[in-house]
Amino acid sequence: MKLSTRYEQTSCRLVLEGLPDLSAGHSADTLGIITGFTLALAGRTELEGKRDHLQALLNAVMPYARHLLSGQPRAFGAASDAVAVEPTAGGHQLELRSSQPDTPPLRLQLDDAELADLVRCLDQLRLDARVAVPFELPPPQPLRRRELRRRQPLAQRLSAPLAGVGALLISALLVSLLPPTPRAPLPGKTPAAAPAQLR
Amino acid sequence: MDDASPPHASPRATVPSRPLSRRGIERLDLMLLCAEALDLNGGEAMVWLSEEMGCTDVLPNRVELWKRRCSNPLRRTTRRGQLQSAEADALIRILNALADRLYPMLRSLLSSAEPAEITAQRWQLFRSRLDELLRERFNLRRGAVQRLLDPQEGPALSRDLIQAMALSAGPGGFERLKASLLDAAS
Repeated sequence: MKLSTRYEQTSCRLVLEGLPDLSAGHSADTLGIITGFTLALAGRTELEGKRDHLQALLNAVMPYARHLLSGQPRAFGAASDAVAVEPTAGGHQLELRSSQPDTPPLRLQLDDAELADLVRCLDQLRLDARVAVPFELPPPQPLRRRELRRRQPLAQRLSAPLAGVGALLISALLVSLLPPTPRAPLPGKTPAAAPAQLR
Repeated sequence: MDDASPPHASPRATVPSRPLSRRGIERLDLMLLCAEALDLNGGEAMVWLSEEMGCTDVLPNRVELWKRRCSNPLRRTTRRGQLQSAEADALIRILNALADRLYPMLRSLLSSAEPAEITAQRWQLFRSRLDELLRERFNLRRGAVQRLLDPQEGPALSRDLIQAMALSAGPGGFERLKASLLDAAS
């Protein structure tokens, strides 16, 4: 029995087609085997693919969105992957490479709103309880220090510690210029000196 | 293909649970402020959503919600003490739900498909409300607040916040936003 699930946002429509995997004990209305999917992005050709392409789309777009959310856009998808995404001047470029030889890759320019629509559709798909296909996708993780580039310019980052060290040096210099405070004679020594003078 | 595995285990459990950094709290509260700038009833919506989502054990009323938001050191009146992990989660959940509600507005601000004049008017309206809220509630001597109010730097920073809200909406938005707010301090 053929099953179909549909995820829609303003500029994006993703339709998944498949079959229930009855041998795995899934119910008849749970999509367990993907036979294909179609992705329509506003005003562009409808794209078709198999499960591997959908996995490649998730592998590229989800971490891209994760980095973008932290203000650290960077390209995802290696040269051998079916899908790659990278930031461009006016938005984002999604590159879809065909498995057929001599077919040039399809490059789609997405603006911020279209990317957000695509991310929402993919989120709906991967969290849909009616779809029991395990997509291999690590959960979003906090970015490590070395992944955070250019959040603050170097001069701005160094200004506070340098100002602190400078202030410390200046105050140390000023303190060293102060004349030493005359010490009061110790009370214990005075009575001892007095009898010597009397003699 | 191992289709026999159970459906996706919730990735929520694997996002580390630790208190937010100072920067994380600042960003979270600024995004909540953006939601208020986009929706005049945003403050009420937060209280209503908190009750709706069962966050009342952590944020029992509007005063407690307000106090948690005042953990943001950029505020005019800040509250000492660290925001607990459960409290931060409740605020992130509220923001996730607000972003979902406001998604059509967020989308229209980010879209390049609509006429430039209409988009510019929308941004102007949003920026004027955000400026008003910042001047009313935030410490204007803070560099981060001054940069948001700056006519040169402000628009790009506000756009970053709106884009972050759009990517935080929807079913996967909670984990993504939480992970982002837990980024290492730069």
